[in-house]
Amino acid sequence: MKHPPYHLRPNKAVDRLTFLEAIRRLGKLSRLSAYTYYGFGGPHLEEFQLLYEFCPEIKMVSIEEEKETFKRQKFHRPCAKPHLQLVNNNFKSFLDQFQASDRKSIFWLDYTGLEYKYFEEFQDLLGKVAEGSVIKITLQCQPRRYSEDKDKDDFRKKFADVMPNPAAAPPAFLEEFSCFLQEMLQVATQQALPGAVRLMFQPISSFYYTDGTGMFTLTGVVCSRTEVDKIKKAFQDWELANLDWAKPRKIDVPVLSTKERLHLQKRLPCKRNSGKTLHKTLGYLINRDIAKTEDQLKNYADFHRYSPYFMKAIP
Amino acid sequence: MKKSKFVYEPVDASPVKSFFVSMLTRDIKLEEAILDLLDNCVDGILRTQKSARNKNTKQPYKGFGAEIKFNRDSFSISDNCGGIPWNLHEYAFRMGRAHDRPKDTHGTVGVYGIGMKRALFKMGKHCLISTQSGENRYEVEINPQWITDESDWDIPVGPAKKPLSEDGTTIVVSELYPGIKERFFDDAKAFKSELERMVASHYAFIIDKGFEVKINGDAVKPRPTKLIFHRGDKKSPAIRPFIFKTKTEEGVEIFLTVGFTRPIPSQDEIQDEQEEKQYSSLDAGWTILCNDRAVLYCDRSELTGWGEAGVPRYHTQFIAISGIVEFISDDASKLPTTTTKRGIDASSSLYLQVKNKMREGMKIFIDYTNKWKGLAEESKKHIEDGEPLSFVDIKNESNNLSFIATKKTVLRGDQHRPVLPLPKKLETKKRRLSFVKDIDEVRDVSEYLFQDGNMDPSVVGEKCFDMILKEARK
Repeated sequence: MKHPPYHLRPNKAVDRLTFLEAIRRLGKLSRLSAYTYYGFGGPHLEEFQLLYEFCPEIKMVSIEEEKETFKRQKFHRPCAKPHLQLVNNNFKSFLDQFQASDRKSIFWLDYTGLEYKYFEEFQDLLGKVAEGSVIKITLQCQPRRYSEDKDKDDFRKKFADVMPNPAAAPPAFLEEFSCFLQEMLQVATQQALPGAVRLMFQPISSFYYTDGTGMFTLTGVVCSRTEVDKIKKAFQDWELANLDWAKPRKIDVPVLSTKERLHLQKRLPCKRNSGKTLHKTLGYLINRDIAKTEDQLKNYADFHRYSPYFMKAIP
Repeated sequence: MKKSKFVYEPVDASPVKSFFVSMLTRDIKLEEAILDLLDNCVDGILRTQKSARNKNTKQPYKGFGAEIKFNRDSFSISDNCGGIPWNLHEYAFRMGRAHDRPKDTHGTVGVYGIGMKRALFKMGKHCLISTQSGENRYEVEINPQWITDESDWDIPVGPAKKPLSEDGTTIVVSELYPGIKERFFDDAKAFKSELERMVASHYAFIIDKGFEVKINGDAVKPRPTKLIFHRGDKKSPAIRPFIFKTKTEEGVEIFLTVGFTRPIPSQDEIQDEQEEKQYSSLDAGWTILCNDRAVLYCDRSELTGWGEAGVPRYHTQFIAISGIVEFISDDASKLPTTTTKRGIDASSSLYLQVKNKMREGMKIFIDYTNKWKGLAEESKKHIEDGEPLSFVDIKNESNNLSFIATKKTVLRGDQHRPVLPLPKKLETKKRRLSFVKDIDEVRDVSEYLFQDGNMDPSVVGEKCFDMILKEARK
């Protein structure tokens, strides 16, 4: 079974580490040992390795459908049972049997495509998880797949039930398409947890990025409506938080050498004009013009703490 | 016989306000209540002289519209549909329909006289209705004190504070009930999405005929059903819809059409859809129109004939089949709708007769899908030879078709039964090959042969066979 190199995608790596940061801040609200993490780890169990390293108190469950990938996961286990349980099953079947009871969960629905059934699974999960649980959902964000009229029409029919404006055409550009997906997820959360119900979905962060394929990701907490302010307070100091369904942030970290990064480090964090400041520090363009260079360097300044170093190593 | 010591006095059977305010409002969903208000807008159009000018055009509702706005504090609907004339005021605001109410204009749908009141009481305790119809400009206010005062059934009326730019009505509801506030604020996105969807489907045909509806600033765009219609040689087999039309003795005009909206699905598509829902919304099924309103939209249940009297239950195989039945009557009480006007009265004798025709029409296209099973690719070109026509265009185009009068059937009328293309029988020296393989294996072979892992399995299988045949014949 062929897999893309999930572990080497720089923007995805940033997203992974921002998620870890969100989980760390969750610790201000509840003991992390009260949580179980569920995810689709891929062959190398990337986020499981990080979680075990930085949040070892969280028990983990990986769900994988494909048999050969499951074998690779067994090989790449970062820790022993029962701390990490590997399940060979498809997610829908797992979800049908899932019973949270009162134990809190952290779910990462890390989908690679964009299908209506993912919204249904998301809604199903919203109705099942315990109060205080976190759900992160990642969906493919490729507007050029819907450029033809026939594809636009197909999109409307597929996603009619969660479209904010049922007659709208899916936007043509990545940023607008990511906003559109966010609105669709917002509709889905309101349908699953309407105003009459005690619990709601409070967003924490949302990003879009591309490492070849465009992706959108949203993270939020399932909480009581009376506890929303408490949740917002726990995340309000986080510079990457999105607590009001505002526009998703773009992750577009430039590829810089280790030497360049270490050189820029002394200027960070940079509160104002970070793009200009870092450009001046480097002294040259890293993209086709000044505007693009400073835009990417600003993005680097925003996400530098979450951007891993990729290095050659002698095994 | 001993005389009873009790004195039995007459019973006060006068209505209690809480019955209207609390009980009747439970019968209806919030979105449906708002559609009732839109129905009143359309009824208003029919009363105006402007509509008479548009009557015979394709767009009889052009120039008219309604704007709906809602937030956590209020709901409003404004229209330019002629307003409520003073001579109708007593009956517009009275609960129920009095016998001596002025005769309704042709084509309106209001029957029981409760739509507007039910909608307003469902949402909040305070309501201000401002209306302008020619020289009449007045305001009617219902406040919380009126709702609780059982002794006073009079509603105060005063002159409108400012004139509207066009004849029409504006309704503002405030002091919203907590459940309504939640829908308008906490669930704002989901509620707006659902309301737009309902307006787009129930009002698809009216909006297509020119009526404009905006919800919180966004115009609602309809997606009316279109059926494939081959305009060419009418004598050769081609994809055209089945059509039945009639006018009953009670004056109800009926136009029924059923056909294909798209190519029939391949076996793979049917299987994919069965395993996992690919589409959240489908065009398949029956839409029933009563005086231009869709009271049922893309229905696929026994209500419209699926799963009974020789018609199979709806299945993905029939995803391409769609039908529309239009009922038009000057007297709305003759239409086969439920009291909410959002459904069909399944026990209506008129509807039961029409349902026979619906089943008759459906069976033609169900039979086609059975005959062409496994040959979806070949059948596609017949669909592509036709073009998708709207309901109005089908009605116009039907004038070029030949009809047979059905006098001896239960429902008399005229019908056109299309002759659909049949597959050529497989020649005796040909055999069909079909087999099932693991998805990953198919993908790997497709990648190997075509450098594309997503080729259709039948194309992959055929290529493999052709390659081995070439080897075998060396």
